[in-house]
Amino acid sequence: MSFFNTIRERASSLSIFDKANVPKKPSKDELFREEFKLPDDETIIDETAAEMLVVSKEDSNQNNASNNFSSNENQLSNHSNFVFSGKLYLTKHYIVFRDSFDRKSCVIVLNLSTVKKVERIPSRAYVFALSIVTNCDIKLLIQFIGIRSRSEEFSYKLKTCLRDNVSNTKKIDPFLESLYSEFIVKKNEPGADKSAIHSPDGGLGQLFKYPGDPKKLRDKSKLRLWYDYFRRYGRNLSIARQKMFYKLLRVGLPNRLRGEIWELTSGAMYLRYQNLGIYEKLLKDNEGTSSIAIDEIEKDLNRSLPEYSAYQSEEGIGRLRRVLTAYSWKNPDVGYCQAMNIVAAALLIFQTEEQAFWTLSVLIEKFVPGYYSKTMYGTLLDQKVFESLVEKTMPILWTHITKYDIQLSVVSLPWFLSLFLNSMPLVFAFRIIDVFFLHGPKALFQVALAILRINGEELLEIDDDGTFISVLKDYFSQLDDSAHPNSKDPKFRQLTKFQELLIVAFKEFSNITDEMINQERNKHKPSILQNIETFIKRSQLRNLPRTPNLSKEHISNIYDRFYNCIQSHKASLGVGSSSMEFKTYQQFMNGFCDWALPEEEYDSHPEDFLHRLFRNWDKDSKGVLSLTDVVVGLDKLVNKNLMESISYFFEIYDYNNKGEVDREGILQISEGLLYITKPLQDGKVFDFLTKKSIENYIADKIVEKQNETNDEVILLPSEVNIDQEIFQREQGERYLSAASDFIQRAFEYAQPAEVPELIEIDDKKDLEKIKANAALDPNHPLTLNLATFRMVILADESYELLFSETLSSSIHLDRSTNISDKGGILRDMFDGLLADGRRVANQVRRRMDSSATSSSNNHDSSSIKSKPGNASLIEEEDEDDFGADATSNDYGDLLENAEIQALGDVPVSNNVKKDDRENELKVLHGEMTEIEKGLQNQSISKDKNLIEFEN
Amino acid sequence: MSNKQITPVKLVLLGEAAVGKSSLVLRFVSNDFQENKEPTIGAAFLTQRCIIGDKTIKFEIWDTAGQERFASLAPMYYRNAQAALVVYDITKPASFIKARHWIKELHEQASKDIIIALVGNKLDVVEEDESNRKVAYEEGETLANEEGLIFLETSAKTSFNVKEVFMNIGQKIPNPENVTASGEQGRNDARVDLNVNNDSVENNGCNC
Repeated sequence: MSFFNTIRERASSLSIFDKANVPKKPSKDELFREEFKLPDDETIIDETAAEMLVVSKEDSNQNNASNNFSSNENQLSNHSNFVFSGKLYLTKHYIVFRDSFDRKSCVIVLNLSTVKKVERIPSRAYVFALSIVTNCDIKLLIQFIGIRSRSEEFSYKLKTCLRDNVSNTKKIDPFLESLYSEFIVKKNEPGADKSAIHSPDGGLGQLFKYPGDPKKLRDKSKLRLWYDYFRRYGRNLSIARQKMFYKLLRVGLPNRLRGEIWELTSGAMYLRYQNLGIYEKLLKDNEGTSSIAIDEIEKDLNRSLPEYSAYQSEEGIGRLRRVLTAYSWKNPDVGYCQAMNIVAAALLIFQTEEQAFWTLSVLIEKFVPGYYSKTMYGTLLDQKVFESLVEKTMPILWTHITKYDIQLSVVSLPWFLSLFLNSMPLVFAFRIIDVFFLHGPKALFQVALAILRINGEELLEIDDDGTFISVLKDYFSQLDDSAHPNSKDPKFRQLTKFQELLIVAFKEFSNITDEMINQERNKHKPSILQNIETFIKRSQLRNLPRTPNLSKEHISNIYDRFYNCIQSHKASLGVGSSSMEFKTYQQFMNGFCDWALPEEEYDSHPEDFLHRLFRNWDKDSKGVLSLTDVVVGLDKLVNKNLMESISYFFEIYDYNNKGEVDREGILQISEGLLYITKPLQDGKVFDFLTKKSIENYIADKIVEKQNETNDEVILLPSEVNIDQEIFQREQGERYLSAASDFIQRAFEYAQPAEVPELIEIDDKKDLEKIKANAALDPNHPLTLNLATFRMVILADESYELLFSETLSSSIHLDRSTNISDKGGILRDMFDGLLADGRRVANQVRRRMDSSATSSSNNHDSSSIKSKPGNASLIEEEDEDDFGADATSNDYGDLLENAEIQALGDVPVSNNVKKDDRENELKVLHGEMTEIEKGLQNQSISKDKNLIEFEN
Repeated sequence: MSNKQITPVKLVLLGEAAVGKSSLVLRFVSNDFQENKEPTIGAAFLTQRCIIGDKTIKFEIWDTAGQERFASLAPMYYRNAQAALVVYDITKPASFIKARHWIKELHEQASKDIIIALVGNKLDVVEEDESNRKVAYEEGETLANEEGLIFLETSAKTSFNVKEVFMNIGQKIPNPENVTASGEQGRNDARVDLNVNNDSVENNGCNC
């Protein structure tokens, strides 16, 4: 069952997502963070237009240009570097610059900790310029555009941020030591003491060799180019990205640097720097703790890139275990999803554990949200998006696919879920991931589309899923082959299928943009979520235990309301749960039950009916209810079988299944009875008895009128003026007297308990009073057993009816979640009475009949018609609705005396507050002693009668 | 390739994670067994041809991921399936409960006339030590009788009963001439050509 609970858990968190995601526009800060992959707490403090020049140490030496940047523009043209105009942003920990040309000619994300020096450059009066020197000895010359005072303000804020950041600068050096980019630059500095510089830790590839042939990959020359780049434009936390950066990235990263660049372009580096040590801490804090996720991870450790030698070793398996486990602790909503093992295993070839941990985090949370979630809605959604992109870009192929009913997503799902890692040879998948971290999920779509485009002709020949898959499998195995083996042009011949794939993906499908993908996602999201919801609901309802008193519709309504309540309750906390706490339960019950008050009116008490009911339903005493608990509980509560229903009510008060309750229990039962009959006392709803007397009243009126007009045809009026209050009052009185009778009889027939118990009573006066009453005398403890309880209930018509009918009908399981309207019940009832005129008409007929017998009129000739049209003609029908009528009336007679006495001084109020009610009960207790004696004689005969009911 | 008709049968495997779905398929298709198989992401696809009586059946086997969260993807795979293996692990009672779930799901959602085989796997573990058995043979049998399923206990490791499962399903598959009109025949013809390129995926018929 836990399966469905957890799957439901997913769905509830997902629905929160759904509701929150009525495509809201991302804020400026969100877009900003997304563009520069900055952590969630970076917000724009200030921004300004500016021009930027990046000058390296070598440049300065050669040109000595820096100081003249603003004063002598002629010098700029001599300079080999370009000046970029764009936008400068300041956040708490970063300076960000982005060119306005194409947003990738010059992008700088500079962590404030890397700033070594900020200087104002002396310049003409109206120009404001700063020079920032970074730890890489890169000089950023920034000329502000705009009013000088604004520029001053920016620079003042920058100063403040720098000052606030001072404490972080201690972290920077050890952090940089973990980066290979720092290492190669330092190591190759002229005159560097090579023995003092240690290579930072790396991925498993360092120990077990990287997949692929390094010579063929031209690793060394790539590394050399990156080295030059780092010296020229900075690196890691202070890198300036220029065109060259993207070029270098696209030809494939050198293995030794791959981990760091992944970390950089994905933004994981910023997170790691911000959260140093968190990874170790997560592992340490949760050491020895077990979870489902951990079991699942354990199953897959030996099954993650098993061909790679590192994952045949304890070292590799150990790292993978720790990264996946730590992530399952970091994000328990995701926990562990198969395919994450493959992705993490790939990351760990190039990254240290901590690097891989943060890269995995941004991947799961930012790049492909929902892919690995517990419902995998992101995966399903992107498959739908992919299909519609195929339809748009390759209509002929799409027509073919649909014609032969090929389930495209079955083919493509693993591509997306495991980032091509288990589809194509690793070396190629890594290169796709290179681009993926830079450009985001659109890269996956572009590559996937390109795969279909390139194989399009062959795929058009195919008519089943199996061949479809195998064609693509073959293609993936030949990625290293020449794309044009027969070409005469040797350059063309050299082009591999993989290179062709990248060209098609990023050139031909360059029109696939993030906006386009987002648009498609928004379009398909509702239906995908709906499908998941339906699937989960179906699964969960199917696995509920049998509940004979509930219809399918009821259970469906319970399900909806159950999760609806939990959601609205927890949404603010952002937690999805599949169990219900008392507070939510109260809200839940309020939706279904007349007597469950809304939160604002409900005066909670740990021993009140609702709390006891909650505990009764909470079979495992977990303090929360599952859907199963609630369904099973409601099933018992709406049971119309008189005896079972009474027994169940008793069970709620019979704590330890002892089969009896003590004095306190009796009082609480009576409270409970008052509680669930409150709407009846208040006349908010009418029970069967009241309805019947209303019918009688109406019938009387009609007969009266009939006699006046002497008409053959009886008309049911469409409207009757009924003094509602009379009936409300009558009913209220009836229920209060039922309550008082109950207490009286319960104590009367309660057995003395065998073991005397002491009850602490502080108030001496009360003690005196109670002592005067034998039933309440603490020296003579009492117990009430089920049989006696039944007897006492059956002694009262209203209460008997309560358990066979009224209670059940006070729980409106046919209410679906979207109808919360509870007003107008009474109005509906009156309308119903008249609309269903049959019973009224029956009453009329009976009266007519009896008058007919006395006056010897031929009643058969008189026909009865109803005016409103929907009231039906009277049929020959017994009033079987109320079989118990006669017998219980007999009791009523028997008890009449006692009733009158008991009612004596009791104030009858429609709006009894709880305190009043308690007082009332106390008064009742006092009265009882006096009544008791008078009752004794009658009770003997009554007793005999009652026993017959006890089977 | 003979001109004999080949009946394609789409078969889907469902069941809890690590009950041995992929291993059953591997045993059936390649007569092989691996202790550590890569987990199935989404679904794996394999084919196997069998001669059963006068029929040649080509099983198109969809082997699904067992992890719980992949369950919501399952409808994608059992869509149009003509047969299903619902697999549980006879040493894991929870997997039997999940098997019940899958049977209900299939009855409600899959093709009406889908042929379902209930398979209790890992018999070898029980044969080693009878106390490992947590789901009685009779339990499986009763469920199968109630729901009208084929029922077998198997061991992918020792290959016990594995072929028999597929044989039983194959025997229940109606003859193609009874089922399809000419359209389906046309497809089969096309299939023959493609299968030539595709022999790497298939064996040349199993020894059923």
